[in-house]
Amino acid sequence: MTNIVLTVNGTQVLREVEDNIFLAYFLREQLGLTGTHVGCDTSQCGCCVVHVNGTSVKSCTMLAVQANSADVTTIEGLAKGDVLHPVQRAFKEHHGLQCGFCTPGMIMAAVDLINTYPKPLTAEIVRDEMEGNLCRCTGYHNIVKAILAAADEMRPVVTA
Amino acid sequence: MKISERAFRAVGKPLARNEDLRLITGKGRFTDDFNLPGQLWAAMVRSPYPHARIRNVDGRVALQLPKVLAVYSGADCEADGLKEINHNPVPSTKYDLKLTGKDGGAVFIGKHTLLPTDRARYVGEAVAMVVAETREAALTGAENVMVGYEELPFVVGTVEATQPGAPILWDSQTDNILVDSSFGDAAATATAFAKAAHIVSDVFHIGRVTGVPLEPRAALGDYNSETGRYTLYAGSGGAVRQKHELAHVLGVEPKDVRVLSFDVGGNFGTRNRAYVEFGLVMWAARKLGRPVKFRADRSECFLTDYQGRDLVTEVSLAIDESGKFLAMRASNLSNVGARCVSLSPLSKGSGLITGSYNIPLATLRSRAVFSNTMPTQAYRSSGRPEVTFAIERLIDKAATQLNMDRFEIRRRNLVAPSQMPYRNAVGSTYDSGEYEINMDKLLRLADWQGAAARREDAKRRGKLLGIGFANYVESSIGTPKERADLIVSPEGIEVVIGTQPAGQGHETSFAQVTADLLGVPFERVKIILGDTDVVSAGGGTHSGRSMRHASAVIALASDDLVSKAKLLAAQIFHVAEGDVEFDDGVFKITGTNITTDWFDLAKRLKELQLEDFPGGLWVRRDNEMHTPVFPNGACMCEIEIDPETGGIEITRYATVDDVGRCINPLIVHGQTHGGIAQGVGQALWETCYIDPESGQPQNGSFMDYGMPRFNNLPFFKTEISEVLSPTNPFGVKAGGEGGTTPAPAVIMSAVENALAPLGITGVEMPATPAKIWAAIQKADRSALAEYI
Amino acid sequence: MYPTKYHTPKTLSEAQKIFAAAASPAYLSGGHTLLPAMKLRLAAHSDLIDLSAIPEMHGFTQKADRLSIGAMTRHHDVANSALVAKLIPALAGCAGSIGDRHVRHRGTIGGSVANNDPAADYPAALLGLGAIIVTDKRQLVADEFFTGLYQTALQPGEILLQVEFPIPQIAAYAKFRSLASRYSVVGVFISQNNKKVRVAVTGAGAGGVFRVQSFEAALEKDFSPSALVTCSVDPAYLMADASGSSEYRANLINVMARRAVENPGKTSCYN
Repeated sequence: MTNIVLTVNGTQVLREVEDNIFLAYFLREQLGLTGTHVGCDTSQCGCCVVHVNGTSVKSCTMLAVQANSADVTTIEGLAKGDVLHPVQRAFKEHHGLQCGFCTPGMIMAAVDLINTYPKPLTAEIVRDEMEGNLCRCTGYHNIVKAILAAADEMRPVVTA
Repeated sequence: MKISERAFRAVGKPLARNEDLRLITGKGRFTDDFNLPGQLWAAMVRSPYPHARIRNVDGRVALQLPKVLAVYSGADCEADGLKEINHNPVPSTKYDLKLTGKDGGAVFIGKHTLLPTDRARYVGEAVAMVVAETREAALTGAENVMVGYEELPFVVGTVEATQPGAPILWDSQTDNILVDSSFGDAAATATAFAKAAHIVSDVFHIGRVTGVPLEPRAALGDYNSETGRYTLYAGSGGAVRQKHELAHVLGVEPKDVRVLSFDVGGNFGTRNRAYVEFGLVMWAARKLGRPVKFRADRSECFLTDYQGRDLVTEVSLAIDESGKFLAMRASNLSNVGARCVSLSPLSKGSGLITGSYNIPLATLRSRAVFSNTMPTQAYRSSGRPEVTFAIERLIDKAATQLNMDRFEIRRRNLVAPSQMPYRNAVGSTYDSGEYEINMDKLLRLADWQGAAARREDAKRRGKLLGIGFANYVESSIGTPKERADLIVSPEGIEVVIGTQPAGQGHETSFAQVTADLLGVPFERVKIILGDTDVVSAGGGTHSGRSMRHASAVIALASDDLVSKAKLLAAQIFHVAEGDVEFDDGVFKITGTNITTDWFDLAKRLKELQLEDFPGGLWVRRDNEMHTPVFPNGACMCEIEIDPETGGIEITRYATVDDVGRCINPLIVHGQTHGGIAQGVGQALWETCYIDPESGQPQNGSFMDYGMPRFNNLPFFKTEISEVLSPTNPFGVKAGGEGGTTPAPAVIMSAVENALAPLGITGVEMPATPAKIWAAIQKADRSALAEYI
Repeated sequence: MYPTKYHTPKTLSEAQKIFAAAASPAYLSGGHTLLPAMKLRLAAHSDLIDLSAIPEMHGFTQKADRLSIGAMTRHHDVANSALVAKLIPALAGCAGSIGDRHVRHRGTIGGSVANNDPAADYPAALLGLGAIIVTDKRQLVADEFFTGLYQTALQPGEILLQVEFPIPQIAAYAKFRSLASRYSVVGVFISQNNKKVRVAVTGAGAGGVFRVQSFEAALEKDFSPSALVTCSVDPAYLMADASGSSEYRANLINVMARRAVENPGKTSCYN
């Protein structure tokens, strides 16, 4: 058991955790943040993506103790009160989700992509960069559209 | 009843979904999100053998481990009187083809006990359960349960399992064949074949795949010793069905089981039948006096989620000089796995073997066979992609053999709108459709005119361009009964209904229908699903039934509700019932300027507490609707093959889908997109391959099961065609299966089209780069000189 | 995952001490192979020693004609490093082609190299560039380092600190990915440095990553795709699985090698 202190969605939490607990299950089972999902055992589906210190990670492949002193953002921390994040809004407007199970990881991945990708996003870039997230319902079509729409809103075209 | 389009304000609009807010903010309620105080964890001990006698289950070592509380075997289940899961696999609506055993008798299905007492019949079958304080302790316990196995000969192949001398799975049977039925007119078909100018034949194996809903299956069981009631949290395709089946397993009345199924992380058929773990966690909760939870790993899902397809079909077409189809002969063989959970795929496909074509005569033999594999179940568009593959691939072959244009041969044989309703040669009656118009729309949508130029362009880049085409017709039947409660309160209208979405947007599209029927704003309608203590009856979601059944029963219930509300208004305003008129949400008292609406009536009723209206302003309506509908369409895709690597890129994909009335185009297009991905997945990447030598499944994780991904699919062009069905009030057909149904056929049509310059045919699904490359090596590669 | 004890040593010597004292320890770098294996109970370690806090294992340094990369440097940082992009752009591309963006945010060059997965990309880059592997005990050349499937010359407890890459005139990587895992079915890393050519292949070798001397000789004579047309690798040395036969892999080695030569400075992904 190890004591860890971390910030989750802006709130500091202090917990004693077993060393073999993954961050995803720490969030789900100890903090009750069940929006972060786990869809596979091999770090491939991306349902568990959260941000650790501003970077997307697969929280099923990171131990909770490795997040000691980190700043973690989950899907629950993305909206500001009742105001949805542009990516959340775009997913709804463009029907970028069906069953919704992959959606939290998908949205967290998309936010990371839009925030950090150094060049303007195209459909091809979105498809390549989002490869670490699987969806079984949408055929990806509307997710790509949603991400591009959110990117347009978040990263207005800069004209030189 | 007739629906007035005049009142449509919500119906037909691409409204964003009511479901989404909770799902995009992390507030969904999936099974594993629920936990109960004092909860224990279950883990399964699974058979490593495809076929083995179970000599004994020894839990002594496991029970010595920390936190392990119990080890249960099949003998324990039997001793407690647990019954089998009564899957009721034989489709039985008035319009399903009647499948029987070999002698025309009942179908032997193989009892599905929660844990077997005699043998393990497939790799991954649960043979014992360990319950412990934590999941990790339960898993460690499971590793330490000693099961005495005696390995038995096994068979996993679909055709192999039918052959004389094949190992037999069930002692009471003389072979593995559980269904053997024939349909159509064999004698007349034989005569037509004898006269035919051309006969085209082929054999296709539509291989085994699995649904891969991204939410791994999970279950949380509880038992209240004071009330004697069980509770189960488990995602499914219909909580009401699960309630009844699990009550049977536990030997209690259905009222003593409550099933909660809220957000379901994908289904695609895999969750439509109960899983053994569902019964086991409830039973263990009673035995141990604490709630018990089970959560499958992805690898367990790959092994033991109900799987799909696995059909071998032999088909022949008799064709006259002019290219007219005269008759068809088919023999379909479905691999149901170790026990029979569902015959939906075989039955569904059987009724559609003639596809979209006017083939006057047909004969069909439908068989099902046991094998040492995970049971199969309906999987996205159960049975229809298989038979669509057979007829469409066969027609492509016929076009080549007869040296006819593949579109022309189809046009010459499509069922015409004037023939609707059209009864096909095995007895299915297609309700409506404009099949040739679908084709024409598609050729425009897919820019068929530009295809030749694109082919040349691909060639310049060293790529073989292939164009695939397929028509399809599918059937939406499903459980015939549905119930809706409509409850009016001053705040809004609630609709309680027994369908079970897993992403299909019922909370939105049903609200659209209700809003327009009652003339209320869409925002004031709320759909209630998924808790059997609230939802008293309902058929669940499968076979594309939900929109059609829901809109029909809600329409009937709405009529009842209007009548009841008129009665109420008459009492409130002291007039005769006949003096209350209803139009588009407004009740008017004839000859006065008094008007009122639903919410006002509900408010007044609440204040007045009239005794004629116990429980307020609400109605319950049951509906039984057997008549099937036949969604249909046409589909085209383009692929480019890199002849040096065998790699395939899908460059274009277009569909026209006649879904009948489209309630919400945003949702319907989304259904088509997802359906396409699943069908394409089977054609190109997905397979549950079971090694015939070892009986071991080879695809146990995303490391080895190829999934549709962001970067192996293109944008799709999808067009909805609305030819209203005459069979139900709104004219709904279905929109969930159209994407999948033609997809394997259209992709393989494109693969063969691309490889046509090399004379390659018969590439099997999934058409992997390695297979394509190997086929190219065996072919005459002189044609490639122009490419490489 | 079986119980384990997690450590975060701040110094090399502390890490070494913890390792020496533990029953069945493992060093933890990015964790994207080790942790899934432990999660699936395919591996069990009494102690996990996280190397991420050890300063000398991070970052990039240019030393004359070499580029040194700390073992704990994450794939994402290699892919996005301006220095790597300037000196060995194909290496940046290679790092950017590993796994997916979330995996690249965690996975490290040292972890990938020490694991030596037969389908991983970095082993091909190291062998194809003739890298030097610096450990807490010694320096090894890549040709000596990769010894077999998941096998390296690392001794128990030895810590990989840096990888030093000679800076080539030309380097390129081409890979053909698995439909499922997205690992390389075949990946070919090619470099040309002072007229010497190295061709390293991952994903295909029955014994892990390997060099193809016949390709190297052909390219040293004529660094062009056409020089490779008549070259081949004997399928007998290659693996076969659901992604393809050994003959298919032999073909892909040739195709990927040609495409690498056609695209100098780049990493090209197929399928």
